Amino acid sequence: MIALIRALGAMTHGFLAEFGRFCLFTRTVIRTAARTRGNLRPVIEQIGHVSYRSLPTVAFAGVFVGAILVLQFNEMLKEYDAGIFLGGLNTSSVVREVGPLIISFLLAGKIGAFIAAELGTMRVTEQIDAVECLGTNPIQFLIVPRFAGIVVSSMLLLALGLMISVAGSMTVATLVCGLNPLQYLSSVPKFTGVSTLVAGMIKSAVYGTIVASVSCFYGFNATGGARGVGRAVTQAAIYTNLYILIANFVLSNLLDRLGGLFK
Amino acid sequence: MSIAFWEVTKNFGPKRILDNVSFDVATGEILFILGKSGMGKSVTLKHIVGVLKPDSGAIIVDGMNVTKLDEDGLAEIRRRCGMVFQHPALLDSLTVYQNVSFGLRTPQFARTLRRTLSEEEIRARAIEKLALVHLGPELLERRPQELSYGMQKRVSLARTLAPEPRYLLFDEPTTGLDPVTTNAVNDLILELSRKLKVTSIVVSHDMACALKVADRILVLDQARILAWGTVPEIKRSQEPLIRDFLSETLALLPPEER
Repeated sequence: MIALIRALGAMTHGFLAEFGRFCLFTRTVIRTAARTRGNLRPVIEQIGHVSYRSLPTVAFAGVFVGAILVLQFNEMLKEYDAGIFLGGLNTSSVVREVGPLIISFLLAGKIGAFIAAELGTMRVTEQIDAVECLGTNPIQFLIVPRFAGIVVSSMLLLALGLMISVAGSMTVATLVCGLNPLQYLSSVPKFTGVSTLVAGMIKSAVYGTIVASVSCFYGFNATGGARGVGRAVTQAAIYTNLYILIANFVLSNLLDRLGGLFK
Repeated sequence: MSIAFWEVTKNFGPKRILDNVSFDVATGEILFILGKSGMGKSVTLKHIVGVLKPDSGAIIVDGMNVTKLDEDGLAEIRRRCGMVFQHPALLDSLTVYQNVSFGLRTPQFARTLRRTLSEEEIRARAIEKLALVHLGPELLERRPQELSYGMQKRVSLARTLAPEPRYLLFDEPTTGLDPVTTNAVNDLILELSRKLKVTSIVVSHDMACALKVADRILVLDQARILAWGTVPEIKRSQEPLIRDFLSETLALLPPEER
């Protein structure tokens, strides 16, 4: 029993220590970004890379997330003869909850893993040490553009993914549920107000920040050759998803309470 | 003006990597740091440029205590000390030209020169440094991955030379190279040190290379200095580890060089 408690204590201590290092790293990145002036080209390049790489995946996810929800809601609403609300309910759920969550999970798998592997390889092949020894701050040169690129891209991708999702949902609702597009859209303003859009954008920005900071943190601090890079990528994927779920719980509660402010 | 370690101790977790290590490097000399893998050789170099900080002790470069310097101070130390890594450590996304000129575009370098170099000056300097490592300007627009490993190492050396450092720190410069390229790199270290009159510290486990190139040799073992002296002094050492290192190497040398 004591051994179990000790093991749990050690695990908790390890997690908290790691989380503390992660918070300090994120603070350093944000401070460095705030001090950085001038050249926006690396950030724009990163936005281009991230958006271009993720666009097809986000588009596919958008269509199918919307389609699945349409089928689910349609079954439930039919029972109450409330099929006319399908569009509003579906759009609200996609914009506020499911869309940001699924799209950020996809970004974590696609972009987060890529960034962690890229930075991890740079670390174990001493490229990051070389940048530092040549008189350049590696956080400023390597991390800030990637960090800003992922945060901005995740918001752009989310906006695009949601539009594709709404279009996909409408198509499925027309083909499968027998609603015409106008009927589908008629209830959207009832359920999807400014607060829903703001909540979706805030969530996507926070999740994008989590994807960016976790993947950069584990990649930047990778050690121990190829195995170390593999470990960094795995940890980045696990912790990104974990932190996103925790953030989703906190944000959903918080935004529900603040929802009235945006109406 | 030189580099000195004063009672430096460094631990990684429970493992002691450097234990009260003290030595200095005279201006213009080539010091080889030898030892088995994991004995703290590369760690020693990374302390000089402030990438690692000691748990206790001091590292003095040109009269400045590296352990007490802020970011600007460290940047100045890094400009004075050019480091050649075990891996070529070239940035894959940049061309050879962009890699070689990387250190010439930093604010520290501009501050030292009291002006920013023009693109023509940077290009001329990149070509000059590539020539020093026996590479031609036709490589300038190539990417590192298009070059052989030996060429990448030379480009890496050219990049280190570009800001004209006073000190060259080589971390296992011949690791992963074939014997012919190893000899070429050894000759290059000697040539650069003599031609540019820079002070060099070379971390290696290659005794043959040390006997050929070094002015003095320092042997690290079990986190401490096992021996430190000129090449003839090291050759006379009766320490078992040094005898092991020497026995294999001397057997390969012609009798007059033993």
